[in-house]
Amino acid sequence: MMISQDLILLLLPVLILQLLLLVIAIVDLIRIEETNGPKWMWALIIIFLNIIGPIIYFIIGRRP
Amino acid sequence: MQWFVIFKKELLENWRNLKWIWVPIVFIIFAVMDPITTYYLPKIMDAVGGMPEGAVVDIPMPNANEAMMMSFGELSLLGVLITVVIAMGTISGEMKSGVYELILSKPVKYTHYVSAKFMSIALMVWVSTALAIIAGWYYVALLFGTIDFTKLLTGILFFSLYFALIVSIVLMVNTWFQTPGLVAFISLLLIIILNVATSIYGHILTWSPALISDYIGAYLSTGTLTDELWYSALMALVFSIVCIQFAIITLKNRALQ
Repeated sequence: MMISQDLILLLLPVLILQLLLLVIAIVDLIRIEETNGPKWMWALIIIFLNIIGPIIYFIIGRRP
Repeated sequence: MQWFVIFKKELLENWRNLKWIWVPIVFIIFAVMDPITTYYLPKIMDAVGGMPEGAVVDIPMPNANEAMMMSFGELSLLGVLITVVIAMGTISGEMKSGVYELILSKPVKYTHYVSAKFMSIALMVWVSTALAIIAGWYYVALLFGTIDFTKLLTGILFFSLYFALIVSIVLMVNTWFQTPGLVAFISLLLIIILNVATSIYGHILTWSPALISDYIGAYLSTGTLTDELWYSALMALVFSIVCIQFAIITLKNRALQ
């Protein structure tokens, strides 16, 4: 598929949201004291599982 | 006044554990993904290739209403799942960690406790669904065609009643068990039973809250609010109140034991 300007403009908001989710999850992971399971594992999950990774982290990774 | 104190505490807690940030973002992504991928599917298939020479891929392009219903459908599937998961520990987790005893050692009414919890979660879910549907509408308008915005807002209002029901079901189950995972499992089971029963006996249960999103779809395309939509919305409201009452009664009985 030709990567046209239209497509980029169209997808940009979604990409920004995805990136925002990833950044928030990573920043939170760095600042949080303890997680369920090792931190490096969560870092890998957040970075490599697109969208789903941060969601899983927020649901089961965070320890209140 | 007491109600507002608990409500504020809940809002603050949901803000601190970042739910107010990630839930809206995730809902928006869910609602937006389906219309976009449907629109670009033929082009993606062309680009990826692998089709035999001369094969004609003819995927019918949905109209604006059908594309909008994809957003609603995605939210009533994944959105409900997320809703259950974020609400699963709201009372059961506090019981487990002992915060529950701490709060109720003060003269806090159970009614206030449960309804403040309900409002704090429901408010978050309502805001998220509204934002998500509007984002979905934006993409549908760009890619497929326009949908009347006031109609959409009416649809969102009815849709939020369905989510109110989901939240109150989870709250009710919250009072039964102290393990958040089990709460999520049982709540999902109840919601699935509701949906399956509705799809089997759909001709009898025309007022079932599980049909709200179908009726919203019909409303978006015809523009008339059917009696069934009103009835199912009313039923969602009644069921929500009943579930919350059950939750309050269970907590009161537990205190007496």
